[in-house]
Amino acid sequence: MRQKLVVVGNGMAGIRCVEEILKHSSDVYEISIIGSEAHLNYNRILLSSVLQGEAKFEDITLNHMKWYSGNHINLYSGETVIKINSAKKHVLTDQNRLLSYDKLILATGSSPFVLPVPGVEKEGVITFRTIEDCKKMIETSKNDRSAIVIGGGVLGLEAAWGLLHLGLDVKVVHNSDCLMQRQLDQASSRLLQKQLERKGVQFLLGKTTKEFKGRQHKVEEIIFSDDSSVKADLVVMSIGVMPNVQLAKDCGIHTNRGIVVNDYMETSERDIYAVGECVEHNGFVYGLVKPLYEQGKVLANRLCSTKKKRYKGSVLSTSLKVPGIDLFSIGDLREDESTQALTMLNEINEVYKKMVFRGDIMVGAVLYGDTKSQSKIADVIVKRKHINDEEKQQLMYSTEKDHSLLSSMKVSEVICNCNGVSKGAIMEAVQHEGISTLDEVKQCTKASSSCGSCKSLVCDLLEYIHSDDCNEVTQPKTLCACTTLTEDEVVYKIQQKNLSSVNEVFEKLNWFSKEGCSNCVPAISYYLAMIYPKTEAVKNSIYENKGLMFTPQKGGTYNITPRIYGGRVSAQELKKIASVIEKYNLISVGLTSSQNIQIKGIKEEHVQAVCAELNTSFNSLENNTVQHINTLFGEHDCVCDHEEALQLSIDLEKSMEAIITPSKVILSVSACKHSNAVNIQKDINIIGDDRGWEIYVGGQILSVEQQEELLTIAQDVVEVKQVVLGLVQYYRETANYLERIFDWIERVGLIHIREVLFEDSLRMQLVERLESEVQQSLSL
Amino acid sequence: MTDLLLKYFRTKQQEVQSEKVYDTQCPFCSMQCKMQLIEQSVVSRKTFKTIGKDNPTSQGRLCVKGMNAHQHPFHKDRIMHPLLKVNGEFVQISWEKALQHIKEQFESIQAADGHNALSVYGSASITNEEAYLLGKFARVALKTPYIDYNGRLCMSAAATAANQTFGVDRGLTNALSEVPHTRVIILAGTNIAECQPTIMPYFEKAKENGAYIIAIDPRETATTKLADLHLKVKPGLDAALANGLLKVIIAEDLVDKQFVQERATGFEEVKEHIDSLSLDEISSLTDVPVEQIRTAAIKFASEDSGMLFSARGVEQQIDGTHAVRNLLNILISTGKIGKKYSGYGAITGQGNGQGAREHGQKADQLPGYRSIENEEHREYVAKVWDVDKDELPRKGVSAYEMFQKVNEGEITGMFLMCSNPVVSNPNANFIKKALKKLKFLVAVEMFISETAEMADLILPTSSYLEDEGTMTNLEGRVTLREASRPCPGEVKHDWEILCEIARVLGKEKYFPFTSAEDIFNELREASKGGAADYYGITYDRIRKEQGILWPCPDLDHKGTVRLFENEFAHSDGKAKMLPVSNMSEIPKEKIDEEYPLYLTTGRIVSHYLTGVQTRKSSALAARNFESYLEIHPETAKKYNIEHNNLVSVTSKRGNIVVRSKLSEKIRRDTVFVPIHWTEAQNVNLLVGEDLDPSCKMPGFKVNAVKVSPI
Repeated sequence: MRQKLVVVGNGMAGIRCVEEILKHSSDVYEISIIGSEAHLNYNRILLSSVLQGEAKFEDITLNHMKWYSGNHINLYSGETVIKINSAKKHVLTDQNRLLSYDKLILATGSSPFVLPVPGVEKEGVITFRTIEDCKKMIETSKNDRSAIVIGGGVLGLEAAWGLLHLGLDVKVVHNSDCLMQRQLDQASSRLLQKQLERKGVQFLLGKTTKEFKGRQHKVEEIIFSDDSSVKADLVVMSIGVMPNVQLAKDCGIHTNRGIVVNDYMETSERDIYAVGECVEHNGFVYGLVKPLYEQGKVLANRLCSTKKKRYKGSVLSTSLKVPGIDLFSIGDLREDESTQALTMLNEINEVYKKMVFRGDIMVGAVLYGDTKSQSKIADVIVKRKHINDEEKQQLMYSTEKDHSLLSSMKVSEVICNCNGVSKGAIMEAVQHEGISTLDEVKQCTKASSSCGSCKSLVCDLLEYIHSDDCNEVTQPKTLCACTTLTEDEVVYKIQQKNLSSVNEVFEKLNWFSKEGCSNCVPAISYYLAMIYPKTEAVKNSIYENKGLMFTPQKGGTYNITPRIYGGRVSAQELKKIASVIEKYNLISVGLTSSQNIQIKGIKEEHVQAVCAELNTSFNSLENNTVQHINTLFGEHDCVCDHEEALQLSIDLEKSMEAIITPSKVILSVSACKHSNAVNIQKDINIIGDDRGWEIYVGGQILSVEQQEELLTIAQDVVEVKQVVLGLVQYYRETANYLERIFDWIERVGLIHIREVLFEDSLRMQLVERLESEVQQSLSL
Repeated sequence: MTDLLLKYFRTKQQEVQSEKVYDTQCPFCSMQCKMQLIEQSVVSRKTFKTIGKDNPTSQGRLCVKGMNAHQHPFHKDRIMHPLLKVNGEFVQISWEKALQHIKEQFESIQAADGHNALSVYGSASITNEEAYLLGKFARVALKTPYIDYNGRLCMSAAATAANQTFGVDRGLTNALSEVPHTRVIILAGTNIAECQPTIMPYFEKAKENGAYIIAIDPRETATTKLADLHLKVKPGLDAALANGLLKVIIAEDLVDKQFVQERATGFEEVKEHIDSLSLDEISSLTDVPVEQIRTAAIKFASEDSGMLFSARGVEQQIDGTHAVRNLLNILISTGKIGKKYSGYGAITGQGNGQGAREHGQKADQLPGYRSIENEEHREYVAKVWDVDKDELPRKGVSAYEMFQKVNEGEITGMFLMCSNPVVSNPNANFIKKALKKLKFLVAVEMFISETAEMADLILPTSSYLEDEGTMTNLEGRVTLREASRPCPGEVKHDWEILCEIARVLGKEKYFPFTSAEDIFNELREASKGGAADYYGITYDRIRKEQGILWPCPDLDHKGTVRLFENEFAHSDGKAKMLPVSNMSEIPKEKIDEEYPLYLTTGRIVSHYLTGVQTRKSSALAARNFESYLEIHPETAKKYNIEHNNLVSVTSKRGNIVVRSKLSEKIRRDTVFVPIHWTEAQNVNLLVGEDLDPSCKMPGFKVNAVKVSPI
């Protein structure tokens, strides 16, 4: 059996609480709502907007009949509860209806305060609270000329602005010298008054109403306590509200100014609860919407859940709904010896800010003319955040976050250490996948999905990417102007569609130009050679490479560079070279900086013969292969043993000389640090050390910033070979055509490369694949 | 598992052929994050994926260590059979032979050198059941007083301080769920961002909610970044800094007078002591400006709720106990304990750092946090164990002292379970020297660690994927690790190994267990009525209630979320305050002309303890494959050290070589080296052998060193 829940009051607080209850569970309670006004629940706050012509009555209805019926709620509108019997647990309405309850919620709201002065009953003297009041004003404006609003608070000023909009001549009467004196200080109050005056509202300040006068039943004049007077066709009283407590009081519930409740919104009577403007909590009565909603949530929790939440009171904040006036006030603006205030007045732009602090805690603030930081300030006050002096200044003068740290961060820099997600990966997700929230980033990139410690950094990054400061764009690049496909897409499709020649790629992948261009032709040739290592494509590519080893020169001659492994030559090798030089009369032979001998000026017809006689492999400085490995042989005088390093360089060079690579790969092997090897920037730099072999990667000769980084320290030469071969193979299998090792490392990340190479099984797979491709290549 | 970013399909995409799912908990830190490992087989290859599971403590989060934890149990170096050292080489032998060998060795040692010649060295990474059983094994099967464990190097100062102050030691006096609601937090010598990453959201939430966070640490770390105020204290002067805070609290009349009067003893003595100190002196001693001390003290004292957390930074010192007690003086004098959103937390380090220190692995302790020197306690436990009370050995000595006894020849045999003292103890060269003197060393291990390398016999043990049992996390929440993977090879669980050795020693009657749950049921009985009372906790209840916070004295008891709400655990119900002097009772090493820098040590996010497991993990090694020296650029310049250079770091005890990392985040008079590496990178080679007189904690955090480039 569902319990019976009766709600007295069909206003915003009661209904919000019912909505919260339905969120918990829709079948715990059978709900009945009784409301005096003959309307559905509407947004009372927007009545002034209706008056100002910003909204229509239909627009401000919050819950339509469908909502009531859809949730099986019995609504009795235009009906008033006149008695509660808490002993028998039922309520009686003015329609003589008897409703029994298990739980009762009082949401009786409040009534506008009516001045206890003579003449208040006269026609034309009204309050501003309901749709009816609003309609009356609109009606009046059609015939009458002048209106007086009594009360310079938020509602009064909004009403005044509305009446002005209806074409009336409007004067605001206020008993204090300052408008909105509870929410504003003097300076901001003056600014507000000036601005409203410019808009046409007139003010009579410091006046207390003594009497309403009119010859007959209609009001014509207001008399003040100083015996001055003012003419009026319409008087709107807006001087505060009184909680409706009578019903509760009559049945013995403890009331004071409002119906007294505890932190769980329980009244003094069992099973009777109260929310909204009728409530007094901890000595406070709230008339603003946010606290009412907070109370509704707490009460719903109390009624539906075993986990109780407490209502801890609310910090009050106000803004004024008058177009063109930006005003925000929050907390307590009163100053005493223990407070310090920070104020800023700019009379030119009519901007005023004041923040009141008690120590490092902000207790109140008013913003006038520039309210951009209102949510930040509200957060600081509500959460009682500690703010140091520097932060105080920042709050005052700037609302924008400083993004310079994030913008200076490299794209490859890792944001999420757990999942190795870089700044670039997140930017790409945001800019191309169209995601915008932290949760989406977690889903899409995995960043911040594990330990969560990078959450604030990710949030800052998101904010930065969406801000104007961010002009970094991660654009997926097409391979070249001949296609709309990216490089990865082309490679994927070649494999998926089994395309086997450059022309077939052009045709099947809808190339714009039939011949391709100087960018795509070599790229596709390279990829075909990588995809089909056993076929002609490779042969061609290798042949081309071999062809390049004889570098054609002006005048039809060629240069060649025989490989001299490790930079160490034997008598035999020298003799062979010498005899070729002698035999073919080659006069131009020189030493290169990379420990080689280059033979220049070979006539075309001699090239084949020279090669055959030298009977060695050749080196080319232009090819995309693993280049001659520099050993700095002969450049040091230290006593260290160099033999192992030399042998290592020879082994490495031999095991990789037959393969193509995305771009050229330059290695160096040194036996020790005495040759200053650390400062030599290479793609891969291997240096012997007491602890093993340090393997550095990603050096770039031309860049001072791009220093090589230590990949790992290998225990012995066997491990060095495995790591280096694994690294080169992984580079071959993942890098784009012409992508140098340093760019590739920057893109995929050094940690990722280590993860792959440190995992024995993965490293072995890579090495095995490299070795088998070398075998295939040699067999061609 | 690392996914390759290959451009080319080398082999056709293979369908997953089988999938296995293991529910478990992370083998590393004290958060004990619940996780699930999914093992997929594709042809001959295996792939792994770890996902976090929701639970009240880590709420489904995992850090980089947890996500890659599976990499070590599946590592090729894992030991799968008993290994006996023959002529300096390990050879595979059968369990039967191994057990027989142990029997012969143990019996001959005890016959020749007496009962007390055998010793047991335990671990805070093993389950409650195993920690409990190890204590019983030492006292009942071996009848030796000499048992202690690596928690001595980790939690002993905080545990002793909490016992002395509150009468009981449970890491966190409040559940973690209270942290987001507290108003001010002191983080004293704790780098939670690196050591317990999944705890961070609680603190971030607190900050979001407006809490003021004060960090005390000589270094800027990922944790201090969170702080509103960072007191960059000179290493080793935490007790003095705490005196400074107390001085301000008393001078500003911010003491919770009612609380210190009704709920504590000793406030007057503390006040008298504090009155005799000068704030200026404390400021120059600690190198923390007076203004900062004042701000911290006033913030902490004037808010209506506050929590204080400490960890190894304060505790791994030879005045660690007193330093923590002085921090607790702050908590008590401001009345911030035993209340909602107010309390103390000793951030336990090791996975079962909490549970393993409660049930008898410590030299002076019996299950349920009972004392081995208390007659009533002896009698109760003897009854549960069905032995004569007078046969129970008395208390032994602490971890480091045990090695001193080994060195002196008093102890000649050692049974070592899941620990790596050669790397983790101070003066590591000495430990090695001592261990070499043993007649017989058995190590129960997953890998041939630096210590196992020295053993005569290694017994292969199970991992977090295989070994079921309860683990008590840093909150004091007893959780159940469901590990269900069958043991690979001839691997056995720690508790099985203990039962089998007991069997060959003729003590099977006391070790009749056939499952971890059997042992837990005896533990419940043995802990009943003790400070750490587990009696009301059962495997079924843990499963149903997602863990239970002890004490839980009976089956209807909900567990204790918040301690000390009404009284403290001392017999008078009050907390004990203690005046603490600025300087350590045993003087800490001072810097001088020869050794001009302070060395402090600590942890980094990708590794755990001595790194035996994490260094085997490719993804973790990928993040840090070697140790380093953090040094201020100006200090580096002074000693001719450039960034990324190999540097020799030398103390009076020894020398290490690590790579330099220049950083402005460290004090100019201090250098930092992490603890997870061995051999020439083992920073514990530099650490002195002085111990805290109350808890026997070594002084890992302050040592004088010199540095020079290589």
